Amino acid sequence: MEAVVPKLASFNLLNPKSKSKSAIRRFSSALCVSSSPSVTSTDSVSLGHITRPDFPILHQEVYGSKKLVYLDNAATSQKPIAVLKALQNYYEAYNSNVHRGIHFLSAKATDEYELARKKVAAFINASDSGEIVFTKNATEAINLVAYSWGLSNLKSGDEVILTVAEHHSAIVPWQLVAQKTGANLKFLNLNDDESPDLDKLKEMLSRKTKLVVIHHISNMLASILPIEEIVHWSHDVGAKVLVDACQSVPHMVVDVQGLDADFLVASSHKMCGPTGIGFLFGKSDLLSAMPPFLGGGEMISDVFLDHSTFADPPSRFEAGTPAIGEAIGLGAAIDYLSTIGMQKIHAYEMELAKYLYENLLSIPNIRIYGPKPSEHVQRAALCSFNVENIHPTDIATLLDQQYGVATRSGHHCAQPLHRYLGVNASARASLHFYNTKEDVDEFIHALNETVSFFNVFK
Amino acid sequence: MSLKLSSTLNTSRRSFSPPLFFSNVKRTPISNIRIPRNRSVKSFTCVHERNPEPIATTSTKLQLLVSEFDSLTEPIDRVKRLLDYAAVLPGLDESGRVQAKKVAGCATQVWLEVVMDERGRMRFRADSDSEISKGFCSCLIMVLDGAEPEEVLGFKTEDLTEMNVGVGVSHVGIKAGASRVNTWQNVLLAMQKRTRCLVMKREGKVFAGCNCFN
Repeated sequence: MEAVVPKLASFNLLNPKSKSKSAIRRFSSALCVSSSPSVTSTDSVSLGHITRPDFPILHQEVYGSKKLVYLDNAATSQKPIAVLKALQNYYEAYNSNVHRGIHFLSAKATDEYELARKKVAAFINASDSGEIVFTKNATEAINLVAYSWGLSNLKSGDEVILTVAEHHSAIVPWQLVAQKTGANLKFLNLNDDESPDLDKLKEMLSRKTKLVVIHHISNMLASILPIEEIVHWSHDVGAKVLVDACQSVPHMVVDVQGLDADFLVASSHKMCGPTGIGFLFGKSDLLSAMPPFLGGGEMISDVFLDHSTFADPPSRFEAGTPAIGEAIGLGAAIDYLSTIGMQKIHAYEMELAKYLYENLLSIPNIRIYGPKPSEHVQRAALCSFNVENIHPTDIATLLDQQYGVATRSGHHCAQPLHRYLGVNASARASLHFYNTKEDVDEFIHALNETVSFFNVFK
Repeated sequence: MSLKLSSTLNTSRRSFSPPLFFSNVKRTPISNIRIPRNRSVKSFTCVHERNPEPIATTSTKLQLLVSEFDSLTEPIDRVKRLLDYAAVLPGLDESGRVQAKKVAGCATQVWLEVVMDERGRMRFRADSDSEISKGFCSCLIMVLDGAEPEEVLGFKTEDLTEMNVGVGVSHVGIKAGASRVNTWQNVLLAMQKRTRCLVMKREGKVFAGCNCFN
């Protein structure tokens, strides 16, 4: 995968005639204020230590006296001051409806909103910002593809390949659309290493396959898939690929041109941005051919009583007043991440991932799901696990209430995967670049004591 | 069943009645009930009582429970107490741990059995794959077992927040109702729904949405 480190100057390249140059200059100066971390980390000071001060929420005690150790990042990430400031600044200084306003505030809001779109495009190396559709979140983005592309491209007998490890948001919309179109859903199982069986995928792909829906990083297994190869095999049989990048965009360099993905989705709230905004990347020619998803204002060209004509993408798919402040907040999050550098974030998280996995193995009777890390197999910085004879919810409850360690327990929106693995639920600890090895140490210590506690009661 | 209750839930000295559903269990003041130090309840003694009358009302039992948990400030002590309660819950055998008796919406698996006894009082049995959830169920059953249907139906979720031991409850006392994983609320709602169903059935009516689990 090519490394992409977006620079602020590249915004000019995307649209040289843009009137938003002054906006770019304002953002450049805004970026210099307080909240950019100094990322020249030394061996003794990790990226986690350097960035932690930027996240006010991490510095608190829960239940009166327990220092918070936040390890639920796969569920949602925390937000740096820069993002909080961007949101506040939007509502304080220039909140206004976008696109059709005439006045000063509206023009400014429109500029910043569209600048945020450009930032997203640059962040994932899309060739044009018109390939970025803002949605409420990745779930809505997948539904957009399902109802817009799916309903008009799938017919009876066509196949959509997914994996048993997909998030519910990547499964349910396709079930609904398959029912309407008569298309068949085929599910790829896991191999012995508890990662999607890519050899089997090659066998499953055929001329009947119209779409492959697949995660880049699994929110439960921590597997990292070779999307570039998967796209290549899929295109060979004429199938499109929808990549669920919710767990990858926040943690590593993702280059949609390098991957040649047809569709890619992600959510802002998992990448240090606010909730309420996410995006769909779609190749221009695909989006241009797709009918509208939601109808309403903004997405139209002309409206008559008996019919309407529609705007070009991306507006065609953005009905109603968008989450303007949130999009701008996402732009600020991207600025923050880009200042650190996604390669740096990825490298640090790979260290943390290894540290977490190795330390978890020391817990007696633990079962960690997903592939074993090795020279050739990397895991993301998360571990779903079970400890024999102790319910994961009991573990998570005590970790939280007695030790202030925030983890998750349940099916992590992956019921089919849990059923496949033969368990009802699992516990999960998931890290982000503002976590430290000390966080992992505290988690392991708390988990050891929790396990001992429940074993005594048994 | 023959049960030997041989340990103490050693907090409040107020009198306390074990769940009436355990119809063969001697009603013993809370201070005289002992649980072995290793927390495993091996057996229970029982004294058969005919037509047991409830000593305390639902409201009184709730207050006793609230004050019991209130006295425990450390989360680990509240969890320990929940596990004590879990230990005295008879649970369900394999035939009871079935899909039809499952309580929807819990993060853990919880099975609930609801019957109306010959005097029209509600009787509850429950089980879970999680010890803490079992503890919750045990507490709820201690408060509501043997109650009139109207008492069960009138019990509000807000009453549970006083117990302040749920998953996702902070010391600030924020309502424990909103989270999807709130076992208290889900189990109580299931108890109420099935109670409503049995009341309607008794009256010869059909309650929409009733699956009549028993």
